[in-house]
Amino acid sequence: MTHEVLIIGGGLLGCAAAWHLARAGLAPRLIEARGINAGASGQNAGSLHFQIERRFLEPGASGQGAQIVRLNTLAIEEWAGLEEELSRPLDIHMHGGLMLAENEADLALLASKVARENELGLPTQLLSGTEARGLVPRLAPHICGAAWLAREGHANPRILADAFADAARSEGAVIETQSRLLDLRRDGESWQATIEHSGRIVTARARHVILATGHWAARVAARMGLNIPLYLAPLMMSVTDRTAPFLPYLIQHVGKRLSMKQTDDGNMVIGGGWASAPQKMADGLPDLDAPPYLVPDNLRANLEVAAGVMPCLRARSLIRSWTGMTCVSADQLPIVGEVPAAPGLFVAAGGSMFTLGPLLARMLARSIIERAMPEEIALFSAARFAHLNAFAVPS
Amino acid sequence: MSRVADGVNRPAPITIEIDGAAIPAHPGETLAAAMIAAGVYRMRDDRSGAPRGMLCNMGTCSECFVWIADGQTWRRRRACLTPVAGGLRAATREGQP
Repeated sequence: MTHEVLIIGGGLLGCAAAWHLARAGLAPRLIEARGINAGASGQNAGSLHFQIERRFLEPGASGQGAQIVRLNTLAIEEWAGLEEELSRPLDIHMHGGLMLAENEADLALLASKVARENELGLPTQLLSGTEARGLVPRLAPHICGAAWLAREGHANPRILADAFADAARSEGAVIETQSRLLDLRRDGESWQATIEHSGRIVTARARHVILATGHWAARVAARMGLNIPLYLAPLMMSVTDRTAPFLPYLIQHVGKRLSMKQTDDGNMVIGGGWASAPQKMADGLPDLDAPPYLVPDNLRANLEVAAGVMPCLRARSLIRSWTGMTCVSADQLPIVGEVPAAPGLFVAAGGSMFTLGPLLARMLARSIIERAMPEEIALFSAARFAHLNAFAVPS
Repeated sequence: MSRVADGVNRPAPITIEIDGAAIPAHPGETLAAAMIAAGVYRMRDDRSGAPRGMLCNMGTCSECFVWIADGQTWRRRRACLTPVAGGLRAATREGQP
């Protein structure tokens, strides 16, 4: 039997794509080497950051980075409808988000960012420090401004992928965990995957393959002789003890790495793109399967940024820090779509994948169902890196 | 639960405070060990007010979070990872004693 679609990877992207494809009657098969949501989809801090991210404003960042806000405006609508579409609560909070400025240089950057976002159709507003403290009285007195986006927020990364997986199963998708891809190769008009499942080696044929394996994607592709420019981003996040609710918003910082939010239980979740350190294999390369080590200096620096803008955090206790791995692409924009050198092979990875995951999964599914890439994601097409595979002969 | 006595030489005891009560402990012990030796199995309460105590004894489960006095404030610490020290004050409820 030849499947219409084989999905590799049971994270947010893979499970959501499985659901969309199953609803369209394509009966996808999804294989996951470990468990559903075991990778970056369940390890990130759950921010829904629809403003232009700080990393796109850094010196040397791709000027096209701002283009991602076009996708973000679509992602806002995607998230707004998810609980209803999946018919279950998902801890999605879209009460607003603030990107803070601490000094004049921050403020100037913020002002140009807001102007750019407004041009691109994202209704951010520039607030004064007083207005920002009107929303969050516990912000430090020196905060001199903020960009406000009314529909930013956060969601619970521990439940979303499972919700998509459950929905996909109920629509007829086959989802297998502990099922590891050993080999993938083109065979005539379709793909043949060799899979290890419960100690048995099986093969599966599929017309379309979605590679939704997060930071493993580049390595899986490399085994086929394909280059997909995705680079490891080992990160860390922290959570404090509970406190009375006071922060219904997402907090980011325009000049420093910070994301901060309060959970329903009252815990503060703090992150923002601080690096952890991958474990190394015998050959010195990062071990993609092992959790990275926490970097104490980065943890301290992250918490210092958080407490700098929210002094009341100094009285809180850190109860847990954790690490996770994701990846960023060569130009920091997501890579989504069919790999030109490998017809039928689709990839989706490369940054902001929690915020954009539900939307990109829908787009990817549409590109298979309709046999054409949706125009909305043309900018993020894998074809922009086709030159890297100009000499590739996929195995 | 009590400490093994036969054939064990321990440093002289120090005094720590748990929920306002003076408790003897030996340098080198964890707070969790001293609490259990003193019969204190309830280390914190969950949201519903139900008692929680030590489960993993290796810093993984976070069940044994207690409050430790840190100057004028109280910090949450895992009792199983906190070594005892003279004058240590611990509380099983927030804001105690």
